Amino acid sequence: MKTTSRLTLTLRATAVAALLAALGLWLATGAHFGWTQTSRVIQKHDELTGIDYPVREPGFVAGVEVLLSGGALAVALGGASVLTHRRRSVAA
Amino acid sequence: MKTTSLRSSLQLAVALSATALTAHAASQSFDFKDPKGVNNVQFKLDAPLESITGTGTGISGTVSFDRAAPESVSGRLVLDTASLTVGNPLMGEHLRGANWLDVAKYPAIVFEAVKIAHVRTQGAQVVGDVTGRLTVKGVTKDVTVPVTFTLLADKLGARLGNDKLKGDLLVLRANFEINRNDYDLMAGQVTDKVAEIIHLSLSIAGAAPRA
Repeated sequence: MKTTSRLTLTLRATAVAALLAALGLWLATGAHFGWTQTSRVIQKHDELTGIDYPVREPGFVAGVEVLLSGGALAVALGGASVLTHRRRSVAA
Repeated sequence: MKTTSLRSSLQLAVALSATALTAHAASQSFDFKDPKGVNNVQFKLDAPLESITGTGTGISGTVSFDRAAPESVSGRLVLDTASLTVGNPLMGEHLRGANWLDVAKYPAIVFEAVKIAHVRTQGAQVVGDVTGRLTVKGVTKDVTVPVTFTLLADKLGARLGNDKLKGDLLVLRANFEINRNDYDLMAGQVTDKVAEIIHLSLSIAGAAPRA
């Protein structure tokens, strides 16, 4: 009976965690289909002049590159786990 | 005969002086330095993933405007390029960097009004096509911008929260486009990533205090 090494399991778990973390962060900050933003724009209105004006406030909005980075990290860790699993199998 | 001629000349001189003074008094100089943080220019460039949008708030300058004779409008507006912001920090670095605006070398974008055409009144607003010289990154080009002028008489005190302060406000609104190739903003480059047309939207209010 083949057993999966602790390293392989750790790599797989980390891959899933990275993917979920990136996805969770992206969803939690508004599922923004653009680039990451480190400030949010809030539109305000000046009653007297009638001017609409944007006010920038600090705020993190994860963009698609966060999602892609999480995916890429998950694929890399998943690939590494496959390699470690094969080596162990060959050695056995 | 001589006395009559002299009197007529004096009367003419007084009348001309009065006309000149009236004309001077009617044309007000509005200062666009904004203590309320409301004045802004917004820009937008199309890009494949999402439009690049940002804001500039460091606006100053003066505009001379007469509601009764809007064709005499003149003025100069300055935008501090360092005040331009976008949401993405890397994009902001590129925007202010040497390839794009090069804010270290060119700290201001300047618009100098030269003339106005097609002036018409729409209710409380005066609308016209203002032609002027726009200088971006050291390159000056003539542009014509449709501008809406709204004079808010006796509103300066209310704006600054001081009823004793007398004066008027002038609100300017303009939406227009420029081509970044005309101003050496990565001219002819990265056209697949960033559009060449820059959409600009200006909303500013200036103040003219009265003694």
